[in-house]
Amino acid sequence: MSTRAVTFTKEQIAAYAEASGDHNPIHLDDDFARSVGLPGVIAHGMLQMGLMGTVAADAAGGPDKLRRLYCRFAGMVVPGDTVMFTAETAGPDKLDLRAVNQRGEPVLTKSVAELAS
Amino acid sequence: MSEVGTGAAGVAGRTYPPVEFRIEADRAAAFARAIGADPAAGVPPTFAAVYSLGVTAPQLFGDPDAAVDFSRLLHAEQEFAWMRHPRAGETIVSQGHVVSDVSRRGMRFVTFETETTDGAGQRLCRSKALFVIRS
Repeated sequence: MSTRAVTFTKEQIAAYAEASGDHNPIHLDDDFARSVGLPGVIAHGMLQMGLMGTVAADAAGGPDKLRRLYCRFAGMVVPGDTVMFTAETAGPDKLDLRAVNQRGEPVLTKSVAELAS
Repeated sequence: MSEVGTGAAGVAGRTYPPVEFRIEADRAAAFARAIGADPAAGVPPTFAAVYSLGVTAPQLFGDPDAAVDFSRLLHAEQEFAWMRHPRAGETIVSQGHVVSDVSRRGMRFVTFETETTDGAGQRLCRSKALFVIRS
């Protein structure tokens, strides 16, 4: 089993926006995010998946082992949230992936990795 | 599966022109740092968010017929499946396709697939995204 706890920050979300090219203002501008009904800026689902992917790669024995990665984004992640990412063996070539915030609420559900055998 | 169209906005079945993308080492390394991966370990698998999904989704979002309100768009599910992982320096080609476009209970669900192939035309990665657009 591999785990990683990450406390999200605005700087980290902005760095992911820059690196990924996803500049949707819901991730960068609190006022804009509130204007569309969000509590403020939220983390990219793809940032959560990127972090989850590093944990899956650890559990798999290296990133090249990953053959499939599936994530369902079940809850919003905002700056200040601490998310525990967990990858656990679920079969010979399969990992169950979970991410839970500091209130025990799942932010990624039904998520899995399949590995090269 | 039966589908309920979204009237003029429905774009199910639409395929966008292929997009060429060169995987620059610097860009892949910056992405690795942003997700806390080791940049020396090569192109992170989830860099597919850029080289596959990232280069094709803007075609959907910019399609006037698709009429996607970007500010109300949520990424609900994402899958990547790899035949192999690309290396820095490779030039690859990605093509996006709208699998389904369904409205239900005031929400619109768009499933968008991208096929990425390498310079030899071999399949490299498939991305499947489910976007939910809140009304």
